[in-house]
Amino acid sequence: MNPIALDIRSLAKQFGAKVAVNNVSLQVPAGSFYGLVGPNGAGKTTMLSMATGLLRPDAGSALVNGIDIWADPHAAKATLGVLADGVRQFDRLTGRQLVTYSGLLRGMDREEVAIRTEDLLRVMDLTQDGDKLVVDYSAGMTKKISLATAMIHSPNLLVLDEPFEAVDPVSAANIRDILNGYVQLGGTVIVSSHVMDLVQRMCTHVAVIADGVLKAQGTVDDVRAGKSLEERFVDLVGGRATNEGLSWLRTSSN
Amino acid sequence: MVAHILQLKLRLLGNGFKRSTGQLVAVIIGGLYALGMVVLLSGASWATAEQNPFPGQLTIIIGSAVVLGWAVIPPLLTGVDLTLEPARFVHFGIDTKVLAPALVLAGFISVPAVLTFLGLLGASMMWRLDPAVLALALVSAVATAIMAVLVCQYLTIMATALRSKRRFRELTFALLFLLLVSLGPLLSSVFAAAESIADWINPISAVLAYTPLGAFAALPGALATGNMAQLALCAVLGVVYLVGLYLLLVRATGAATVAPPAQQRAATARGLGFFKLLPATPTGAVAARSLTYWFKDPRYALSILMVPMLPLIFWFAGRQSGEYTMMFALGPLIGILMGFAISADVSYDNTAFALHVLTGVSGKADRAGRVMACFAIGIIPLLLAATLPAILSDQLWRLPSDLGLSLAAFLVSLGVSSVVSARYTYAVPLPGENPMKTPPGNGLRVALTQMGTMGFMAVLLIPVIIPAVISWTTQSQVAGFIALGIGLLLGVGMLIGGVHLGGKWFDRRQSELMQAVMINR
Repeated sequence: MNPIALDIRSLAKQFGAKVAVNNVSLQVPAGSFYGLVGPNGAGKTTMLSMATGLLRPDAGSALVNGIDIWADPHAAKATLGVLADGVRQFDRLTGRQLVTYSGLLRGMDREEVAIRTEDLLRVMDLTQDGDKLVVDYSAGMTKKISLATAMIHSPNLLVLDEPFEAVDPVSAANIRDILNGYVQLGGTVIVSSHVMDLVQRMCTHVAVIADGVLKAQGTVDDVRAGKSLEERFVDLVGGRATNEGLSWLRTSSN
Repeated sequence: MVAHILQLKLRLLGNGFKRSTGQLVAVIIGGLYALGMVVLLSGASWATAEQNPFPGQLTIIIGSAVVLGWAVIPPLLTGVDLTLEPARFVHFGIDTKVLAPALVLAGFISVPAVLTFLGLLGASMMWRLDPAVLALALVSAVATAIMAVLVCQYLTIMATALRSKRRFRELTFALLFLLLVSLGPLLSSVFAAAESIADWINPISAVLAYTPLGAFAALPGALATGNMAQLALCAVLGVVYLVGLYLLLVRATGAATVAPPAQQRAATARGLGFFKLLPATPTGAVAARSLTYWFKDPRYALSILMVPMLPLIFWFAGRQSGEYTMMFALGPLIGILMGFAISADVSYDNTAFALHVLTGVSGKADRAGRVMACFAIGIIPLLLAATLPAILSDQLWRLPSDLGLSLAAFLVSLGVSSVVSARYTYAVPLPGENPMKTPPGNGLRVALTQMGTMGFMAVLLIPVIIPAVISWTTQSQVAGFIALGIGLLLGVGMLIGGVHLGGKWFDRRQSELMQAVMINR
């Protein structure tokens, strides 16, 4: 197996005058639980979109398990599972149909898809809602069913953009357990998140990205260098307001 | 506060155009076209003022049609610009006494509203001979336009409340659309039955004058004929209607800003549906997904709806002229239209298309699956449309050529659509939106693309059209069979070629397609 599960080489993307991702290189070791953190608009989603085949980069390449996703997309995508942020699902399908669809699209056979679909629905706590249309799911349920569609082909690498957003604490804990088990069995997970605390507890490695530039990468302990990840993140990214806050924001006024 | 909200509305209108130059150009061209119509109408009213035998009735009919149009078309069909939807103000806690009138007023800031005012004012020119009547006509034109916009706003709020129930939404739109399309032929039958214009214009306008639709529009006619009793009655009625409507609207707007309509409840579907019936391959899966959407997504349902509607319209039209030849065009027409329905497939997927990109499904499987679904839906209606006219009119010799042309049209259309939808996306209603809603300025672009594609299909079909026409003119069954043979060969060839080419483009450009659909959301 390739020692680098995701090798991002000098990826760059510009939208008009705005440089969204500026020459970012990043190595995600196989078997790591990798956190990608950065403020809003830092370019996390843009970078992950380029690394997963959704957005063509202006420059650079991304290798999934050693295969360039832009040169040989079919082979690269076969070992890759993605939870994209901000995209719809085919929400006129039921949850069960959607997960099945994702499996069949990848050319898996029917029996295998059926077994794994039920397993995934069970661990995502969606068995009860498997026959409901996805359009009627709550935000958290939609997140979970999307995660299931990304996992059905048992990929070597999971790229999850904001997987815990809007997910309730119990489901989040369940998902974390699943992901931890998956990493222990040799899988690699990349999650993007704003929640530093979560990343510090959950991840083995972390990369900090701000304004499209990579600020730091390495193991969580290396990056945080004795501080909490949150403190270190603020140091790296900056932008904490030093002056006084909203002096008028108090309940007594008005 | 009122000024703020009006400013907000203007800013939103402006920003919408800034986002896409193409849209702005389309709006300008569409606006110029509409403005041209307004000028034409005004000019015609001016020029015919001296010979117009029914100015009073005509004003009532025009006014009523405008109000009715505003009442029906935006709330139920095209959808309205909901950027200032009352429900969006729920969180602001603005006093509804201020907010509701402000929102009502903001509703007047739109291109169609301005055009309506201009158009109605222009139509008043038919009263130019008498200055007093002209002055009243101008005032009543403004009042009629205000009535139109208010009716539209009120019904939109009502429709929005009902629309949040998905099942209602999907069913009613289909039914209403059907009704509206058949309304034209129905009305023309009524008019054709009447001996002269006076036969229908008098009774209809006499009734409309007392309804909210035509009360204001009836004023100039009443003054011109010196019917002071009617003038007073209609004026009072009009004011009562307008004030009543305004109060209702302000109350409804206020209510909507405080309590948004409740969310719909869940719908279910047992088991795997089409996924169980179709082969467990990527192509089969895409076909199963598409078929599910053909049945569940009202945007697709609209393309199926044409199938029963076209024969209906043609039959009405034929009944008037006693000439039913058009029925023979049904097969090829339905073939082209049905096949064309998948040309916007990727646009309809919207960002859900990401799943196809992420799973790395091959372009050929994607194209073929979508074609299979459309073929399965379309083939039976197509065969019926191609064969029934000949069978019912007892002209069996036509069967081969009709079948050949219809099948070729369907298959070629599917092939062309497979290529087109791998390359072009349009701004279409988003999943779950009102299927009849069109983003402003989109109509022209869609019309141009569709005209281009259809013209291209017609060219591709020439090898089948020639023997088919020979068969019809000479009543030759041999030429008919030649048309059938060429049609099948050409159709299958084009379909396979289209799926291949479309698949190749799809493989090369799927990330660009993905970015294109992300813009429309």
